[in-house]
Amino acid sequence: MADTHDDKELKNGAPADPGRRRFLKGVGIVGAGAALADQLLLHADAEPQAATAAQDGAPGAMKITLQVNGQKREVSVEPRTTLLSALRNHMDPPVTGPKLVCDQGTCGACTVILNDRPVCSCLVLAVDVVNKKITTVEGLGTPGSLNPVQTAFVEKDGMMCGFCTPGFVTSISAYLKRNPNPTLNQIREACKGNFCRCGTYPKVFEAALQAARSATSKV
Amino acid sequence: MQEPVRKKKKIKVTRTIDGVEREVEIEVDDTGEGLKWGPNDKHAILNKKIPRVDGPLKVSGTAQYTYDVKLPGMLYARILRAPHARARIKRFDASAALKIPGVKAVVEAPSPQPQGPQPDTPPSREIYFEGQPIAAVAATTPEIADDAIHAMVVEYEVLPHVVTADEAVKPDAPRVLPKGNITPAEERGDKSKVEAAFANCDAVVEADYRTSVIHHACLETHGMVVDYRGGDAATVYASTQGTFTIPKEAADALGLPESAVTAIVEHMGGGFGSKFGIGIEGQFACRLSKQTRSPVKLMLTRHDEFVMARNRSGSWQTLKGGAKKDGTLVAVQAVQRRLGGLGQGSQAGQPYIYTAASFHRQVVSVHTNTNESTAMRAPGHPQANFAMESLMDELAYKLDMDPIEFRKKNLTGENGAIYHRQLDRVAREIGWERRNKTPGAGSGPRRRGIGCAVGVWGAGGNNQCKVDVRVTRDGAVTVAVGTQDLGTGTRTYTRAIVAEELGLTMNDVVEKIGNSRLGSANASGGSTTVPSLAPAVKDAAVNARQMIAEKIAPLLGVKPEEVTFADRKATGGGKSLTWKQVCAALPPAGISARGEWRSELASRGAHGACAAEVEVDIETGFIKPIKIVHIQDVGLPLNRLAIESQINGGVIQSLGMVLYEGRVMDSKLGVMVNAGFLDYKLPGTMEMPEIVPLIDDTDPREAVIGVGEPALIPTVGAVANAVFNACGVRVRELPITPDKILMGLMTKEKTV
Repeated sequence: MADTHDDKELKNGAPADPGRRRFLKGVGIVGAGAALADQLLLHADAEPQAATAAQDGAPGAMKITLQVNGQKREVSVEPRTTLLSALRNHMDPPVTGPKLVCDQGTCGACTVILNDRPVCSCLVLAVDVVNKKITTVEGLGTPGSLNPVQTAFVEKDGMMCGFCTPGFVTSISAYLKRNPNPTLNQIREACKGNFCRCGTYPKVFEAALQAARSATSKV
Repeated sequence: MQEPVRKKKKIKVTRTIDGVEREVEIEVDDTGEGLKWGPNDKHAILNKKIPRVDGPLKVSGTAQYTYDVKLPGMLYARILRAPHARARIKRFDASAALKIPGVKAVVEAPSPQPQGPQPDTPPSREIYFEGQPIAAVAATTPEIADDAIHAMVVEYEVLPHVVTADEAVKPDAPRVLPKGNITPAEERGDKSKVEAAFANCDAVVEADYRTSVIHHACLETHGMVVDYRGGDAATVYASTQGTFTIPKEAADALGLPESAVTAIVEHMGGGFGSKFGIGIEGQFACRLSKQTRSPVKLMLTRHDEFVMARNRSGSWQTLKGGAKKDGTLVAVQAVQRRLGGLGQGSQAGQPYIYTAASFHRQVVSVHTNTNESTAMRAPGHPQANFAMESLMDELAYKLDMDPIEFRKKNLTGENGAIYHRQLDRVAREIGWERRNKTPGAGSGPRRRGIGCAVGVWGAGGNNQCKVDVRVTRDGAVTVAVGTQDLGTGTRTYTRAIVAEELGLTMNDVVEKIGNSRLGSANASGGSTTVPSLAPAVKDAAVNARQMIAEKIAPLLGVKPEEVTFADRKATGGGKSLTWKQVCAALPPAGISARGEWRSELASRGAHGACAAEVEVDIETGFIKPIKIVHIQDVGLPLNRLAIESQINGGVIQSLGMVLYEGRVMDSKLGVMVNAGFLDYKLPGTMEMPEIVPLIDDTDPREAVIGVGEPALIPTVGAVANAVFNACGVRVRELPITPDKILMGLMTKEKTV
């Protein structure tokens, strides 16, 4: 039985193509040899354009709606498009707080909060999070109205170049919601998935602990 | 009419030339006593903890980096890299890639030309290292650009390669460069004298020390957005350490005059020595933009970054040192091999900062089929520091001397006293007396140890900055200069210096930087930014203050030099004007003042010392850094908060080099096997010791000095020596990983 995407295409008069060829196209040909890629592309050439093709010309692209920082954002993505790429490259205006750094879920610079859970948005497919609440660093506070974690980062100098900072701020903000009174070691654990190359860790720890103190004192 | 005779003086300055810091002598106006910062402890804003002014932008994701630039109709570019260490391209076919919907253009890498890339340069056919760029593609999405890379067909004739230094020095090794695999670089000292001197030594140590190739691993990869849609002007958004290193190179690649290109560097995500000029990626981006008449964004992927964005050269040093019973270092002999791949590599000359009655060193570059090295934060120094500080430690233990006393004995000369007081300070802070008197002593599996090391860096300035301060009648103050902020706090001190000079607050001044249309500035290399820029900012602010004083002096009924500025007021003759009133008295156009470098406001010579405590598990070999103390003299500390961060950062990168990081090559395949953050281990939150960054306030200099690089240097030696003190195993090859500790314990390879 065809999946929902193929159903749509059938209605639009495009040929159903539930086979392996479509799958390979869908996930991208990264990792396939050049010769195999050649063959695939020959097939692709012979195939009529799918009616759902997005404006950017990507075959298999479709429009979805994501809930980003409390706003409904329509975006055209392929099945393989990561949430990070959807935010940064496919939305207009883009959401560029989350950074692309390692592209393999090791550095945490692309961290966003999915419902209440921090995740690496480079490891999440955009099509999988249609019904989830996505919060990026932009959704935590603005320069004129920072959240306690952001305020503490500024006061304690928890950043240098700042490229890792959105990831740290997001990880720690999500963690302090779960544990408002963390120890230093718990802070280390909470952001052990975040790398900083400038070497701001000591100030990040100070900032996180200060944020916890200031947030709990307000309650 | 005779020109007034201006006194000139010659001074030594640090210049970044091709990404390598060099000391050059230049002639400047002798401004005599000229301007003064005033006593270091008498500042209103400077020398305090100033939160960085771009902090709110950075913590909220609002700061726009090059990687974040998205322009209408912008294309995304990717680079195709060679998978072989040495090969010849027999066939390159991009026709399939060009058929993919969304792919707009493919360009091939030109052959290297002595005079730089020329328009009719044939495509490169020779591959000399894994990662060498072959071609680049521009497409409507990054995903499609990725597809295109995989659809390009390349046929190679694979040739013999050599990727490790040990193999490269063998006589039958494949030739890396036409001239051979070893390039002589320097020879100094008297070989026969030093060899004779060893006969009279009470202790002699001879050993090989090796450091790995280290990657900058900037979180924002190299790259740029080139916006050229035809016509006579182009804009280049670049992740660079030098705003002014971009326009000329980009203009050449676009076929435009230099003045037609504007470079923009609003925020940048780390460089550490690796980002000067447009690079091959910039060449590609310019050509793709020109061809498609569209903005093109080309940011390297993380894998690209590891294999083609260059690195810190490795080292292989054979050192022999001899000392007398009283601790006098008598002789040092060194064969220093710089492992810079296709490049030259860098390594400070031995015996580094120590004085030996006789020494001889021979420095060579050993070439391999690997990506060439480039400058990285204190180029050449941590390599030399690790080897020399290890050797000094080994000699101290052999002589049964306190390692700090042994160092002090041999840190003579004019700066000796600085190191002495710094070593005493870090010793006190770490609790030096707690160290193992016998390395490896103690019971139980976890053994603690303490070690130390010292370092030096030039960190002087030069006369390349032009700064403009504008004050308008509505009270707005702007300080503008084209410089870049690498995360070092350039924006913050630029604003702070002006605010202090005019008696204002940080919020009263706005800085404009990162644009090549503004006043010129030097590239950030060699810790030269503060000592080059801060004096020019001060000069501009002083000029602005004097111009304002002249306008308002009549209102106060005093001479201009009697007007003082503080607390947002101008005061003189018992009267005062608010800042608003002051500015209302300015001419309709406000005032503009320019500032240039004032040599008397900068100094050079940054000295530091480090002490480290580690814990080694002798059952698993696991090393846990416990505490690191680093003291650094910086002259006048402009912003204590940013300097502390810089010291922390130097310590942490040095910690990465000594315990965790290193490129791993597969010698058979000729490829890097850990080209990603999953396998190239960066220090993270779980590895962090307690770090104590100390600013040496006993430094009497009322002048500014750079701090970025010196803070990186001695931790590498201090941690290595602490590991030995903890477990009695001397590991002479970095990084010091658990397997090396266990191997040392098993083979009882101990030096005492």
